[in-house]
Amino acid sequence: MSGKQKRLMAASVVLILTLGIGQTAGAMHIMEGYLSGGFCIAWGVICLPFLYAGVRSIQKSLNQNRKVLPLLAMAGAFVFVISSLKLPSITGSCSHMTGTGLGALLFGPSAVSILGLIVLLFQALLLAHGGMTTLGANTFSMAIAGPFVSFGIYKLCERGKVNRRLSIFLAAALGDLFTYCVTAFQMAIDHHGVNTVGGAFAKFLAVFAPTQIPLAVIEGILTVLIMAALETYARPELRAVGYLKEEQ
Amino acid sequence: MVIIDRLCYNSKLRYVNAGEKFAFSVLTLIACVISRSIRISCLVLIMTGVLTVWKGGIPVSRYLRLLTIPLVFLILSTLAIVLNLSGTPMDLFAVPIGSVYLTGSRDSLAYALKLILTALASVSCLYFLSLNTPMPDILNVLRRIHCPRLILELMLLIYRFIFVLFEISSAIRTAQNSRLGNRDYRTSMKSFSALVSALFIRAMKKSNALYDAMESRCYDGTIHVLDETFPPRKREICWILFFEAALYLCVAAEKIVL
Repeated sequence: MSGKQKRLMAASVVLILTLGIGQTAGAMHIMEGYLSGGFCIAWGVICLPFLYAGVRSIQKSLNQNRKVLPLLAMAGAFVFVISSLKLPSITGSCSHMTGTGLGALLFGPSAVSILGLIVLLFQALLLAHGGMTTLGANTFSMAIAGPFVSFGIYKLCERGKVNRRLSIFLAAALGDLFTYCVTAFQMAIDHHGVNTVGGAFAKFLAVFAPTQIPLAVIEGILTVLIMAALETYARPELRAVGYLKEEQ
Repeated sequence: MVIIDRLCYNSKLRYVNAGEKFAFSVLTLIACVISRSIRISCLVLIMTGVLTVWKGGIPVSRYLRLLTIPLVFLILSTLAIVLNLSGTPMDLFAVPIGSVYLTGSRDSLAYALKLILTALASVSCLYFLSLNTPMPDILNVLRRIHCPRLILELMLLIYRFIFVLFEISSAIRTAQNSRLGNRDYRTSMKSFSALVSALFIRAMKKSNALYDAMESRCYDGTIHVLDETFPPRKREICWILFFEAALYLCVAAEKIVL
């Protein structure tokens, strides 16, 4: 391990000890049947323009190079598999990565919106995470809002000449946190009862915070470690997916 | 690795027409979501449970264990709905914390109960579909209802690749475990990132190899696969229509009466 990796590791251990006492759940998929009909449809409709843009961008790159199709399919399967891998945890509990932040950095946010939709459908059908009626809401929070924020933060940091590792960390962790906020908001506007939406939003945020905040931090750290490893071993592949610019 | 996928290939309902199963579970799901009532949810829970376990032959213990997957989500969000921080105590319970109360009302508890049952019933509909229908059959149904071709093709490929990558990742996992790669938190973080980056490189290599293989077999931009179809049976369709009609009548009756 290099010195940097060592320091990162130490930081992660400290953070886990302070934050990660009760991490149990994975990413926050809204469960099947948890949203009322109107909201299911509304979130689905909100997703449509993004998905349309995603299909168009994939179609465009397919017309230039047919090799993109198997590549994207592999990317989708990759996101699915890493989102179902158990994260290391000291409490022995089981939690998962979302993987969409990493996906957005590697493959771009508009491709990830389509891949995310497919991955979420597979997660609903094969792993029972999320569901078919809540597919729209989950797609919006995990495959659109999170990845776009991750990618935006990464690009902003790149322009602002922020340290590369820090910017990857911020992109992945803040993307995760944003997903969690959007999901809490989606649940709050449907289930606020007699409260105001704001009050319900705060409650949902508070209840899910113990699982989601440590998760975001771990995901950020892991994304940095993964990108560091990829930049060492997989430069040609990174160039193939367009993450690194052509240098030679 | 993916337990639901393994179970659905052994289901006794596997060779029933996929469109029938899809229609049944989606219609029942919609009924659950729009009614959001305790009675309808119980009815659906029993019906799909019986169908999956008795007709489909999925082991009961497996089925019950699968139903507990979303439990953490359910518990946490129910807490968020029932608990309130407020200056005045409510009718169900109130625990004073300093000057405010951690309190809940009967209405919110009833609401949360309804929501839990609705969610469980909806999950059971989802399980009826996914525990009895292999993914390629579901993709066929999606093709019938004119899902965009690009998305279908991606889905088909992603579904195949998931298992390839799972196999690679579990092999790497085993190798890491047998070399004490997860002996403490630091090593397991390092192992995890090594696993993911190795997986990425392998995935890229595989996709290149796949492209070469497809190209050498005259790949022209579309993937043609023969699909197995099982014709729908009149008796099954009648039963589904009968059940759905009864269910929607119940939903309508509940809406009018209450």
